[in-house]
Amino acid sequence: MKNEKNLAPRPGFVLDVDRTSPPVLFHHGDTFKLEKLPAGRSRVIYPPEPLEGLRDPDSAIRHALENPIGDSEPLSALLRPDMKLTIAFDDISLPLPPMRRPDIRQRIIEAVLDLAAEAGVDDVHLIAALAIHRRMTEDELRHAVGDRVYDAFAPSGRLYNHDAEDPEGMVVLGETPHGEDVQFSRRAAESDLVVYVNINLVSMDGGHKSTATGLSGYTGLRHHHNVHTMRNSTSFMDQENSELHASNWRMGKVIRDAGVKIFQIETTVNNNTFGRSGPLAVLQKREWEWSARDRASFVAMQKGLDVMPSSARRQIFNSWEAPYEMTSVQAGEVEAVHKITTENVYKQQIVEVEGQTDILTMGLPYISPYNVNSVMNPILVMCLGLGYFFNMYRGKPLVREGGVVIMSHPTPWEFHSVHHPSYIDFFEQVLADTTDPIEIERKYEKQFAEDEWYIHLYRNSYAYHGVHPFYMWYWGSHALEHLGRVIIVGGDSSAVQRLGFQSASTLPDALEMASDVVGPQPTITHMKNPPIFLADVK
Amino acid sequence: MNAITSSLGKARSFINKSGFPYRSAPTPYGVEPAPVKKNTGSDFNTDWARKYPARLTRAMLIEGFMRPAMKFLADPHISGVDRLSGIDGPVIFAANHHSHADTPLLLSTIPDPWRHHLVVGAAADYFFSTRVGGTISSLVMSAVPIERTKVGRRSAEMVRDLIDEGWSLIIFPEGGRSPDGWGQPFRGGAAYLAIRCGVPVVPIHIYGTGKILRKGKSLPRPSSTKITFGDPLMPDEGQNAKRFAEKLETAVAALADEASTDWWQARRRAYSKTSPDLTGPDAGGWRRIWALGKNDRRSQRKRWPDF
Amino acid sequence: MKALEFRRNIPRYAAARLAGSFTPGRGSGVGPIRLVDADLPELPNQDWEIVRPRLSGICGSDLATIDGKSARYFEPLVSFPFIPGHEVVGDLQDGTRVVLEPVLGCLSRNIDPPCKSCQDGQLGNCEYVTFGEISPGIQTGSCCDTGGGWSIAFAAHTSQLHPVGKDLSDEAAVMIEPTACGVHAALSTGIEPEGTVTVIGSGTLGLVTISALRSYFPDVKILATARYPHQKSLALDLGADVAIAPNEIKRAVRRMTKSRAISLSTEDGNVDRLTGGSDAVIDCVGSSESITDALSVTRPRGKIVLVGMPSSVNIELTPLWHREIQLVGAYTYGTEKLADGSVARTFDLAADLVDSAKLDRLLSAVYPLSRYQDALEHAASAGHRGAVKIAFDLRSEKERDLL
Repeated sequence: MKNEKNLAPRPGFVLDVDRTSPPVLFHHGDTFKLEKLPAGRSRVIYPPEPLEGLRDPDSAIRHALENPIGDSEPLSALLRPDMKLTIAFDDISLPLPPMRRPDIRQRIIEAVLDLAAEAGVDDVHLIAALAIHRRMTEDELRHAVGDRVYDAFAPSGRLYNHDAEDPEGMVVLGETPHGEDVQFSRRAAESDLVVYVNINLVSMDGGHKSTATGLSGYTGLRHHHNVHTMRNSTSFMDQENSELHASNWRMGKVIRDAGVKIFQIETTVNNNTFGRSGPLAVLQKREWEWSARDRASFVAMQKGLDVMPSSARRQIFNSWEAPYEMTSVQAGEVEAVHKITTENVYKQQIVEVEGQTDILTMGLPYISPYNVNSVMNPILVMCLGLGYFFNMYRGKPLVREGGVVIMSHPTPWEFHSVHHPSYIDFFEQVLADTTDPIEIERKYEKQFAEDEWYIHLYRNSYAYHGVHPFYMWYWGSHALEHLGRVIIVGGDSSAVQRLGFQSASTLPDALEMASDVVGPQPTITHMKNPPIFLADVK
Repeated sequence: MNAITSSLGKARSFINKSGFPYRSAPTPYGVEPAPVKKNTGSDFNTDWARKYPARLTRAMLIEGFMRPAMKFLADPHISGVDRLSGIDGPVIFAANHHSHADTPLLLSTIPDPWRHHLVVGAAADYFFSTRVGGTISSLVMSAVPIERTKVGRRSAEMVRDLIDEGWSLIIFPEGGRSPDGWGQPFRGGAAYLAIRCGVPVVPIHIYGTGKILRKGKSLPRPSSTKITFGDPLMPDEGQNAKRFAEKLETAVAALADEASTDWWQARRRAYSKTSPDLTGPDAGGWRRIWALGKNDRRSQRKRWPDF
Repeated sequence: MKALEFRRNIPRYAAARLAGSFTPGRGSGVGPIRLVDADLPELPNQDWEIVRPRLSGICGSDLATIDGKSARYFEPLVSFPFIPGHEVVGDLQDGTRVVLEPVLGCLSRNIDPPCKSCQDGQLGNCEYVTFGEISPGIQTGSCCDTGGGWSIAFAAHTSQLHPVGKDLSDEAAVMIEPTACGVHAALSTGIEPEGTVTVIGSGTLGLVTISALRSYFPDVKILATARYPHQKSLALDLGADVAIAPNEIKRAVRRMTKSRAISLSTEDGNVDRLTGGSDAVIDCVGSSESITDALSVTRPRGKIVLVGMPSSVNIELTPLWHREIQLVGAYTYGTEKLADGSVARTFDLAADLVDSAKLDRLLSAVYPLSRYQDALEHAASAGHRGAVKIAFDLRSEKERDLL
């Protein structure tokens, strides 16, 4: 007998803070803070509760493969013995944090390979579509695709990381009408069928971006990973208003016209990031619903974390695997599939919010897409706050033009030298000179993108590509243009200064500093994220 | 002593002074309170009560305390056990219900191999309304929560799972103890469960427990009892639950007849459908109680030894 | 006559060493230096003149002496007691304003024929600094017979004196001597016109070196390390292309020279040393760390020029051997051969550079002799306190007019 009957998940909502409202939980890197927001003019956006996962994900996957969406035959009808089949899958940046085994990618890849085995396909390659992210380690690949798949394909070199700097391995398929080069993995381009396995954590992911970005390189990426595109993506989480997506869709068309057949499999997960029960469950509960046990475990956790060295804290959090559950799976033609995927993402993540605010506060967690099993360096702090959190909107930004963003994060001057070597240089050289994205792009991008040492480390070690820190900065360029000031609470002041932001030791101080920009008695909105939500701002 | 009170006082004033998270936060104005996820009533989880530590505790309680107590209080006279010899595996025991003594009595009289693989269907709203009550009920009586009025899908699934695992169920199809000494009509629940689970139902008639501790009383009083096991009934495939419930009721009525007269007379009356009704005359006021009195007088006689 | 005199006194020397190791410049209080009433130096012969200093700079090597850190190497090359001070602009008795070129070479020692170096015009390399008519001493300010700049007056050989033009302020003129060191260092790199140079340290020497580099090699790429913000902005202003914190040097040189990096593993993203590197490195610090850094960022067959006085250091020389790096010193100056083949005295080049690059801005503060302890402490922590060059100002000393 199971007694885990879940009550119907409640939608997200906006709490108006009054004098009786409890302090709000802020993520603060690998610690937490409880912050009291001013009564009468503050509100807190709470994410929706996790939706129920599919009861039987494996049969849902098989059903999706045989009942494709859009103009596509069932997968089994596309498989022939003498064909070249390439299965590309999302890399370590999805989902966040990494999910418990079995990973969705494993389930899908095994289902696809079952069909391929049945059809007698011999030539199969599996590629981690990581574009210019760092390569995945063996452990990470095993986690994503499962041991069975890894042991069957990796030793013979048929399961590997995409290499965007391999001169032999990359090919330019053509040019979009906008003059954008479409660069693509040669193996994928020469395959009879590319099956893409996606995990759609946020609405930015998936669609043509999976392949047009994931299997591309600097030659292709520079056309949409730039300041102009990012400033015209309002926001990049909203495909309808995103130049980032428009460009990827144009490239997708070129890829299709070049004869590359893509069978896209997309999945969505719920936002059960910290679990409905367990040590971190309190993080996704609303404060007034914390039971005595929740409160005790929170206090104990906070006190425990406070006395730990930061490396120990990092180790603890890096070992957390989210109990995400798959909420939908759909396969077939890219655009038709992605439409439904996006609806399913919205179903989980949308919270309606009335109007903008003067000050937007956010508690940044310990993880961003680019520091899984790594260190969250100051550039990633900027990117998570001003890139991702700021852009978690549809309609208009949560904060008004000229408003202030206050981020809470320790922002240590600390880098992972293996994963982020070019970030160190970016921080020491580029940001010391200027924080203006346009200037940075003009003056330094080419130098970093073509630096041989970075390319060597990207290809042979586990380093992000030399140009990657630039993209982090561009990700925040829409916010930088929109905002009047950015303040980081509790950060390393010299690192914060290098980022071009202001440093405050407490939230009240930061609010005080913000009022210089937005005037007295400003309105404040706090994003209680994660778990992730997308604000639909009216 | 002083030190303890002063440190208690300190702790109290610390908690008084400090706010959230040392104290709980009020639900903010204008926010729907969270729907409570119940873990009482039919949602009470009793899995633990069927783990070995709980079973061992219960076996000790039954053999060491319950059986001697019942021997003293109820002096049970058991018949019809031989009727169970043909069955193998889990069954549902369906008995009439007069008293809280019924359950311990059955727990200490149902023979092996069922005795230590029993669960008792207990009213979810009565026994499991609080966590403490539910815990005691499930530990001592091996109770599982069953809805009194209409057996829900969850209860049914739970029972089926239990029966699949080899547990037998004691259920009181009347849905509660008799209010006045007469029986109540059998509800469809037990029949429904039996049909869903596809196991035999053993009708049991218990006589005399109403005297020991009838509804409304809190102190037991010794009185002799009779327990009669009937022939197992197997529901037919797709049988109507209501009809099967009636069949059960008739079977128990026949056992009652057998207990108060003899087997042969009871069988004859059963076939001629003239067994005395368990639920008493369909009349109001004094006549029901008067009619009950006849039985009472008879049982009164029985309290004295036959010379 | 007021003068700051340095005597040979072993206990005081030890005390200075101890005090200086806690607080730089603190050796002035307990050490062998004292403000005394000294006699006016006697002129050795008619070629000598009395100079009354106007401004007299405090140099890094002076501070090392005061804190007891200078090498015992110098012991036979100086004569006690001496009055320090060799960066001097002063007045002659006839009122001419002059700058002192402090080296006491064969000419001033009246040695004939002069040594080989002096014959070649490389005064700084004079081989006979312990011989001749005057006591041993490599420069004015280390010889017991001449006196030095940290006093009301001292003796100088006419060959040491360079008249200063009217347009040049005292503040500019006092910068000529240190600038000459920078010019000499910059020119001794022998760098290609479009090469790369790394300057370690942005104190006075570093800054004047940067300025000289920019002036004589307009197209080289110059990377400077600067610990403090004012040093960084001055370095950039004087011509450095990049100015970075000292601990960022390896990554910065790697970026500038587009070389690769080597560390324990070539894969771990750390930079211990470079595969290529800077064509030349000018080390204006002279510590074990700075020379080690220099060795890890100099390209094979590149050149390291030591301008900062190194004293005794502990360095791993394998890279010097393996990469065939030249490690050369640059002490003072003499005669320079420019890229266009012309020959000029370093001092004249320095005077021009001080004027054109407005190096008078490097003089941050002046003190009267009586506040010598404050002055020396300020000079010893100049970077930390936002300063570059500290000097004694003797223009308002009353005794000066009595002579």
